[in-house]
Amino acid sequence: MIRRSLIWGTLAAATMLTPAFAQDSTVRIVLNEEVDLLEPCMSTRSNIGRVTLQNINETLAFLDLREGGGLQPKLAESWEQLEDGSWRFHLRQGVTFSDGTGFDARDVKHSFDRAMDPSITCEVPRYFGGMTIEAEVVDDHTIDFKADPQQPILPLLLTLISIVPEETPIEFVREPIGTGPYTLTEWTPGQRIVLSLRDDYWGETPAVTGATYLFRADPAVRAAMVATGEADISPSIAALDATNPATDFSYLDSETVYGRLDHSVAPFDDLRVRKAMNLAIDREAFIGTLVPEGALLATAVYPPPTLGWNENVEVWPYDPEEAARLLEEAKADGVATDTPITLIGRTANFPNNVEILEAVQQMLQEAGFTVELQFYEVAEFEKLYSKPYPEGRGPMVVVAMHDNSRGDPSFSMYFKYASDGRQSGISDPKVDDLINRAQAATGDEREALWKELHAYLHDEVVADLLLFHMVGFSRVNERLDWKPTMATNSQLPLADIAFK
Amino acid sequence: MMSFIRKRAFASLISLILLVVAVFFLSRLTGDPAALYLPSEASEEMRQQFREIYGLNDPILVQFGRYVWDLLHLDFGDSVRRARPAFEVVSEAFLWTLQLAVITMTLVTVAAIVVGSMAAFRVGGFFDRIASLTSLIGASAPDFWVAIVAIVVFSVGLGWLPTSGTGSVWHWILPIGVLFIRPFGLIVQVVRGSMINALSSAYVKTARAKGVKTRPIIFVHALRNAMLPVITVIGDQAAALLNGAVVIETIFGFPGVGKLMIDSILQRDFNVVLAAIMITAIAIFLMNLLIDLAYALLDPRIRY
Repeated sequence: MIRRSLIWGTLAAATMLTPAFAQDSTVRIVLNEEVDLLEPCMSTRSNIGRVTLQNINETLAFLDLREGGGLQPKLAESWEQLEDGSWRFHLRQGVTFSDGTGFDARDVKHSFDRAMDPSITCEVPRYFGGMTIEAEVVDDHTIDFKADPQQPILPLLLTLISIVPEETPIEFVREPIGTGPYTLTEWTPGQRIVLSLRDDYWGETPAVTGATYLFRADPAVRAAMVATGEADISPSIAALDATNPATDFSYLDSETVYGRLDHSVAPFDDLRVRKAMNLAIDREAFIGTLVPEGALLATAVYPPPTLGWNENVEVWPYDPEEAARLLEEAKADGVATDTPITLIGRTANFPNNVEILEAVQQMLQEAGFTVELQFYEVAEFEKLYSKPYPEGRGPMVVVAMHDNSRGDPSFSMYFKYASDGRQSGISDPKVDDLINRAQAATGDEREALWKELHAYLHDEVVADLLLFHMVGFSRVNERLDWKPTMATNSQLPLADIAFK
Repeated sequence: MMSFIRKRAFASLISLILLVVAVFFLSRLTGDPAALYLPSEASEEMRQQFREIYGLNDPILVQFGRYVWDLLHLDFGDSVRRARPAFEVVSEAFLWTLQLAVITMTLVTVAAIVVGSMAAFRVGGFFDRIASLTSLIGASAPDFWVAIVAIVVFSVGLGWLPTSGTGSVWHWILPIGVLFIRPFGLIVQVVRGSMINALSSAYVKTARAKGVKTRPIIFVHALRNAMLPVITVIGDQAAALLNGAVVIETIFGFPGVGKLMIDSILQRDFNVVLAAIMITAIAIFLMNLLIDLAYALLDPRIRY
C-alpha cells in the first residue's frame, strides 16, 4: 500500500512539476542545428541569421519576399544612384545601439569594411566577388558606396551587411551589439540563447518581449516539442511529421534541386541528348510521393518570386517515346548515346535524396540511357560540383540543391551558367552576354533580360536537368499568429510574430 | 601499489601520444576545412586567406610541430567553427557526459547486481524467467527507437516529462532511462551467469549446510566472488558512455561530448576533435585504473 502511494505520489509530482511552459509574451524557438557562433558578419549562415538578423542586428534595407514586398528601408530611410553610378544612402536618425552609442554613417562604413576584412573569415565577401566597393562617409547620416564595376543591385547586396558599432573589433565577437529590438541576454553554449526586448528601440515595439532559442537535431523531437508546448516555433520539421493542419505549414523554401550537365563531355554536347533526358523524367510523379506536396516543378535554378521570373517557360513534359526517338536519332548521327552516364548525389543532401535519384536513374534507363548512381560525402561531392572539374571525367549529372532567397537571379546565374562560372556546365556566348547585360541593367530592362535568359537557358540551350523547387515545413504553436515564408530559411524576425 | 599506478600511467601516456599522432594525421585526411567552411561559390583567394588564418597552408609536419608545442603549453588551440578555445568547448560538453555516465552507471550497477543475483538464486524460476527475458530485450533494443518511443509516450502522450533538453531534474529522467536499458540488460546476464557458478561452488554449499540464511549467502559469500567478470563488463559499458552516447545526446538535445565529437569531425574542426579525444582518453585511462584497483580490493589473491 505504502509502495503504491509512493509510486502515485511520484507520478503526481512529476505531472505537477513538469516545467511551466511559457504562456506569456515570450517565445521559444527550436532550431535544427546548434548556433555555435553569434557573429553578425556570419549571419548569412542560416542558423546564425535566424537568431541575429533583424533581431539583434539590422541592415540598411531588407528584402520582403511576400507578395508586393520588395526592397524595404530599415536603417537607411532612402537611397539613390548618383550620376557617377555610386549609391547614396540617407540614414535614419535617432537610432541607438544596444550599448547606448548612437548610430551614424561611420558605423555603416566600419560594418562594411569589417565584413570584407581578409583577416577574419566572414561569409559575406563571397557575394561581392568580382567587384571592389568603397564606402565613403559624406556626413553623419549620409554614406556613399562606390562600386567598380557599377552595381545596379547594390542596395540589395547591402541587405547582407549587418550593422555593428564602429568600436567592434576586427575579430569574431561573442556578444553581438546591434540596433535591433532585442539584445542577447543569455548564451549557454549547446543549450540555449535568450534574447530580450530593448526598451530604447527606435522602431515600433514588437509584441514578442523575449525569445529563447533551443537546438535539437532530431526533427521528430522538434515537432514533439511544439506539440507539448515546450517550444512555440520549429522552423523546420520533417514532412512526415507535418500532420496537423492547425499547427503545421508548408512553405516554398528557396531551394531548387537540379542535375547539372557538363556540355563539354559527350554525349551531353548534343542538344537532342539533353532534351531526351528532360523528356524522360516524369517530374509530376514525384510530387506527393518522394517530394512533399506543395513543391513546384522547376524551370530555373531559383524560385518563382525572383526578379525576372518568366512564367511563359513551361516545364518539360513527360514523353518517354519522344525521348527514345531523340536518342535514336542522335545515335544514328554517330553520337555515343550508350556511353554510361554517372548520376551523382550528395549524401543526406535533402529528404528522400537516395530514393529520388534512384527513380531518376530508373526513368533515364527506361528512355534508353545507361546510368550509374553514385553518392559522395560533401567534400568529395564538391570536387565534382565545382571547377576545376576532374580530368578525364565521363558524362556526369551532378544532382545538387541550390539556394537563392535573395530575390535576384544574379546570385545564381553567374556561378551556374557563365562560361567561367565556378559551377557552370556550359559555355555559351549568348548566355555570357545576357548575364553581363542583365547584371549591369536596372528596372524593367533588368527584368526583361533575366526573363530572356530564363527562357533561353531552359528552352534552347537546355542547360541542365531542372527538377523541383522544394518546400519546407514548420510547426507553430496555435497561440501565435505567424506563418513561415521563403525568408524563414535565412531569418526569423521576432517582430513579425504576433499573438492571437 | 604506487609502482603499479606509475607503470600504468606511463603506459597510458605512450598510448595517449600515439593517439594524438594518429588522430592529428587521420583527421587531416578528411579533407580541407576551407572546402567546408566557405561556400562553394567562394573564390580561391578567399580559400587561401582562410587557410592562412588557420595555419592550414603550412606543411603538415610544421602544423603538427606547432600543435605539439601548443599542447605542451596546455593550449589545445581554437575551435574554427566556434571561434573560442577548443578546450573550453570540450570540457563543457565532457562535464555533461560525465554526469550522465556516472548517474547511469551507478543506477545500472546497483539494479543489475540485485536483479542478476536474485535471478541466479533460483535458476528457471519465475523471477529468473522474467529477469532473463527483460534483460535480453533490454540488451538488444535499439536505443534511438526506445528514445523516440519514450518521448512519444511520456512527453507527447502522457505529458509527464519534457521531451528533451536540460534545465531541471525532470529533463534527466528520459535520457538516463533510455541509456540505462542496454547496459542493464547486458550486466544482468553477466551477473546471473557468474552468480550461478558461484552459487554452485563448494563454499556456498558449506554455508547452506551450516544454515546460513539466503540473503547473506547471495550478497556476502557468492557475490564478492562473482564480481570479477561483472566489473570488467561494467568498465566496458562505462567507457562506452564516457565516449558519449551520441544517439541519446542527439535525440534529447543533450550537450555532451559524443555529439560534439561527431559534429566536429563532420565540420573538420580538428582542434575540437583532438581535445575531445584526449580528454575522453584520459578519463577512460583513469577509469580503467580504478577498475584494476577494484579487482585487487575484491580479490585478495590479486596484488599489484
